[in-house]
Amino acid sequence: MLGCQDFCGYYDWSFGYVRKHKDIDAVHKLWADISIAQQHYTDAGMTDGLRGLYDTWCGTAVDEHFDWSFTLDEAGNTLRWDMKQCPSKGFLIDNDLHSDEDYCDHCMGWIIPVADQIGAEVVAHEHNHAGQCWGHLRMKGQPSKAFEGHADDITADPLWQRGHIDRWENDVKLPVIPEASPANDAVDVIRHWFADVKAITVLGQGPGATDHWTAQHTTDSVIVTDATYATKDVYADSPCAIVIGDQSQVLAEVSERFHATPPDQRPLLMHTYLPGEAMLPFAQYNLPRPVPLLPILLREQLYEHIPHTPHPTAIVFALLLAAALNKPTIAAGLDWQEHLHDNTPAHKKHSVDSASPTTPPSTHSQACERLHIQRATARLRDRLQIHP
Amino acid sequence: MSAPDFYFGVNVVFQHIHDHFGKATLIDYWQNLGRDYYHERNMRWQAGGIPTIADDWRDYFDREPNADVDVTTTDDAVTLDIHVCPAIHHLRQHNRDIVPYYCEHCDHVCGAQAQAAGFRFERTGGMGACQQRFVKISVTGGA
Repeated sequence: MLGCQDFCGYYDWSFGYVRKHKDIDAVHKLWADISIAQQHYTDAGMTDGLRGLYDTWCGTAVDEHFDWSFTLDEAGNTLRWDMKQCPSKGFLIDNDLHSDEDYCDHCMGWIIPVADQIGAEVVAHEHNHAGQCWGHLRMKGQPSKAFEGHADDITADPLWQRGHIDRWENDVKLPVIPEASPANDAVDVIRHWFADVKAITVLGQGPGATDHWTAQHTTDSVIVTDATYATKDVYADSPCAIVIGDQSQVLAEVSERFHATPPDQRPLLMHTYLPGEAMLPFAQYNLPRPVPLLPILLREQLYEHIPHTPHPTAIVFALLLAAALNKPTIAAGLDWQEHLHDNTPAHKKHSVDSASPTTPPSTHSQACERLHIQRATARLRDRLQIHP
Repeated sequence: MSAPDFYFGVNVVFQHIHDHFGKATLIDYWQNLGRDYYHERNMRWQAGGIPTIADDWRDYFDREPNADVDVTTTDDAVTLDIHVCPAIHHLRQHNRDIVPYYCEHCDHVCGAQAQAAGFRFERTGGMGACQQRFVKISVTGGA
């Protein structure tokens, strides 16, 4: 039977199934239907407004072992939660699960319809995809006291700096990077960024990245990894986008170069946020939180996250992105094993997802690299040229 | 994190897939879930055989609220005597409309799991109490 103990895992898997079977809009429709399952919230809210939601949610919090702060201010027309560690998203992180594009979004997917049915709305909500979020609900048409800056404000927690943020205001999801794109969907942000790009060059750090052939064929729009951006080892010009590896050790150098670049010439920063990897402290280095890369790869069915198995290196993720964007692509210097020889300069070893030279690349494998390069090749076919 | 209200979600997800995509897709969803989502569990079943499957289900039902299940084994099968199905119990307790095909998910999810592990799955009964068996294919000669 399907029990409730591992529900969150197969819930995420189910979203992925619906997306693959139909599309992301079908997933959103599923989330809206989930509000039917939350009839007890609707019933309580119809009877007692925010108090009803509060009482019902408190029961759920006990069942699910929420680690949170939850405040009802009826006079102030405010219901506010601050989730310190979401057990639901935590289950996915702990079990290396990432079947669908954005598990966290499903909460707004059912909360907004339930709130609407009882005459309430989500004033504001943010989640960091690392198991932390906060939300502010009010009954519509009445002023509501803001709670930002209160004692349990999760955004003041140092761990809030992990992950990437999605934000809602007045029931509407806001753009991910307003200065770059009006899109509130990470997939559309990336597509928008590359919309005018005619051809892409993906530059790894293998020998072919700097030879004559590559110099002759490199296009204007280059994607590199964080290590190359930090060191300019194989490409000194301005790339259009960076894939920051899952074990990056060069965030300080990335930040230095990023901030030394005029804002209108800065590259798009992207990162995979893989559940099995440590969460990188982007904010500690004054870097904007990179756009998540997995959603577009999942939507284009170029990547499937299989728990506890190797995943591609950053440069192969970059190649998959080029395939997802369906642009003519030149790829050079992809052979990641070349960088693991003992005599490889230390800065080049960082290019293997910026892995520590002393850390075996157990999260990667040659078979995994080959599989994903084949997927990119199958998608782009004669529009992809791979140079060793 | 065994929160029984999640059974409400299970029921609605089944209904949604059935109503939007049809019964065949719902069955395909269940079978894929059994094969793919539970892949690692299936491999443990395959490696450990009957004792592993039995221990797995004892542990699983121990963590399902209000479940009343006896797990027994023979040389060729694991039998689950489900006196109280925790999902049906909770849905009924809260007066939820249970989709009429709810119990079929066990046939297809567990069936796919069993097949991946070298077993076949049988169910008799349902809607609150049933018997489920995981029978070794090699002993029975089944396909």
